[in-house]
Amino acid sequence: MTMDRRTVLGLGGVAAAGVALAPGLTLIAAPPPDKSEASGDQRWAMLIDVTKCESNCTACTRACRQENNVPLFGDPTRDIHWIRKLEIRDKDHRRPSVSLPVLCNHCENPPCAHVCPTEATFIRKDGIVLVDKHRCIGCRYCMLACPYKARSLVYHKTEFPEGGNPNVPIRAKGVVEKCTFCVHLVDDGKQPACVQACGHAGHKAMIFGDLNDPKSEIAMRIREVKTQTIREDLGLKPHVHYQGL
Amino acid sequence: MLSQFSAIEGRSFGYWKLVIFLGVLALMGLGAFVAVEINGHGITGMNNKIAWGIPHVFAISLLVMASGALNVGSMSTVFAVKQFKQFGRFSAFLAIALLIGGLAVLMLDLGRPDRLLLTVMHMNFRSMFTLNVFLYSGFILLCFLYLWSMFEYQQFTKVIGSAAFLWRVILTTGTGSIFGVIHAREVFHSAITAPTFVAISLSSGTAISILLLVTTFKRTNRVLEDKVVFGLRNAFIFFTFLVAYLLVVEKFTRYYSPAFYDVQSWILTGPYAWLYLFGVWGATIIIPLAVLFNPKFGNSIGGVMVASFSSIIGTFAFVAHLLLAGQSYPLKMFPGYEVSSAFLDGQVATYTPALIEFVLGFGGIGIAGVIYLLGIKFFRMIPNEAVAPEGYELPWNP
Repeated sequence: MTMDRRTVLGLGGVAAAGVALAPGLTLIAAPPPDKSEASGDQRWAMLIDVTKCESNCTACTRACRQENNVPLFGDPTRDIHWIRKLEIRDKDHRRPSVSLPVLCNHCENPPCAHVCPTEATFIRKDGIVLVDKHRCIGCRYCMLACPYKARSLVYHKTEFPEGGNPNVPIRAKGVVEKCTFCVHLVDDGKQPACVQACGHAGHKAMIFGDLNDPKSEIAMRIREVKTQTIREDLGLKPHVHYQGL
Repeated sequence: MLSQFSAIEGRSFGYWKLVIFLGVLALMGLGAFVAVEINGHGITGMNNKIAWGIPHVFAISLLVMASGALNVGSMSTVFAVKQFKQFGRFSAFLAIALLIGGLAVLMLDLGRPDRLLLTVMHMNFRSMFTLNVFLYSGFILLCFLYLWSMFEYQQFTKVIGSAAFLWRVILTTGTGSIFGVIHAREVFHSAITAPTFVAISLSSGTAISILLLVTTFKRTNRVLEDKVVFGLRNAFIFFTFLVAYLLVVEKFTRYYSPAFYDVQSWILTGPYAWLYLFGVWGATIIIPLAVLFNPKFGNSIGGVMVASFSSIIGTFAFVAHLLLAGQSYPLKMFPGYEVSSAFLDGQVATYTPALIEFVLGFGGIGIAGVIYLLGIKFFRMIPNEAVAPEGYELPWNP
């Protein structure tokens, strides 16, 4: 069978039309199932009192790695950090430096979710921002959009670590992941691993709780003391608050 | 003056040598993709600070040039510049070829390219990426229709050509907005980023058209009147001025505000200053204009070719600078404070591209090149001779 060139061009056009129109089919497809069984009555948030955070303490970061099977590859540019300790000091060095953990801020207006082409990053009803690692295509646009550098691409294949947590999957190569607020623990009524570790270390610099519950410790503290969030100017409404910054 | 079209013979040793060379580039690119797919992005030079590297530079540059390649066709269809009508088919086809090359690199660099279908199954219409999925596929469709109308149904050429022109402006705005809308990055975030992309697509698209037209006509022993090329040169000069204008306005606006002193000074003195000064300004603006305004070189085909080549290099430099400098500059989480951490916060990111990234990028050029070469062999894309309309005189020469 032979086809003349006009037919080939026409078929090319039809193929291009198919490619162009196929995305539109989702417009008339059934709405996606509700991704979250979480309750919209709660709004999880974290408060970090930097005056209680010890400079040389890394209990929170170690607990996070342990709980979530987050590996270290030995390459600082590619290591995965769901939570990290920062030292900040004023440029004139007039005041002592401040140590504080930084993690995903679980923003109300998360730019990572806004830019994600496949909705792999989504917000649960209770405000926790999560990544569906089976839907992430690894485009890394979210890494460019996050102002907190809270996201890491998994650059290498990972294996289940010795003594790792069987309740949490290992990190998936080629996918961008980040802090989940230890959603598996929160759903069991527990505190995130970093908060627990901070308490066990005796600092109690981190509080986690429900902002919608006016009697919760975090809600009361945020009402009573001056707190701030990082890059408030961006209008993202982050849900990690800092006291004493 | 409107010539008959014919496919090139494409039997010469030189033709097949070029097809094979570009085909090998494309295959090597495919090999690079497989290697990254198996081993992960750990074998590239990208890291958690520079998450988009050389493959993105190639991909986005090709996409920018693809939309610009339609210029030549648009100038005749939309703006009634008669002497370019004969390049309409070439223009639309080149746009498709470059777009496919660019998209291939973009898709093959994904962390999970096997999940590509998810981009059409689960769409987030707030994402510039999602909008670009529509814009790119729609552009290919319109270019096909534009081509088809030029081949078969010329009564529709004006309508479809105008739609394609409008679409390509939106498309390049969409490409530029991938960066422009990112508030977190000081180098990216600007309303003028997208218009600058549109301007640079005009200059680079015209430049690549000049290069390919002159080369194709010469290698196939067809007549391409100098006057026609110089007409394109004049448009190219004004597009280059447009790029310069937008770059100056952007710098002026930023430097007017003390809030941007740090980042702007860093752009001019930091590790990527060479790319900005020699690449963005030197190759995109200064060299082309210096060559074209030289009475001798500006009025020679060789000079126009050199200026065009420089502009294309400059386009790669522009995208590379925006992308790499934009990601390297430390995020300002605590303005006015020095920051340090094990995650290298507060430091300018370092990035050494791996060879495999270049192989993947050149693979995209190989794909676009093979499509172009086979297209002009099997379809009547190129006029037998390209001459200016009778009595046509160039309004001005440098």
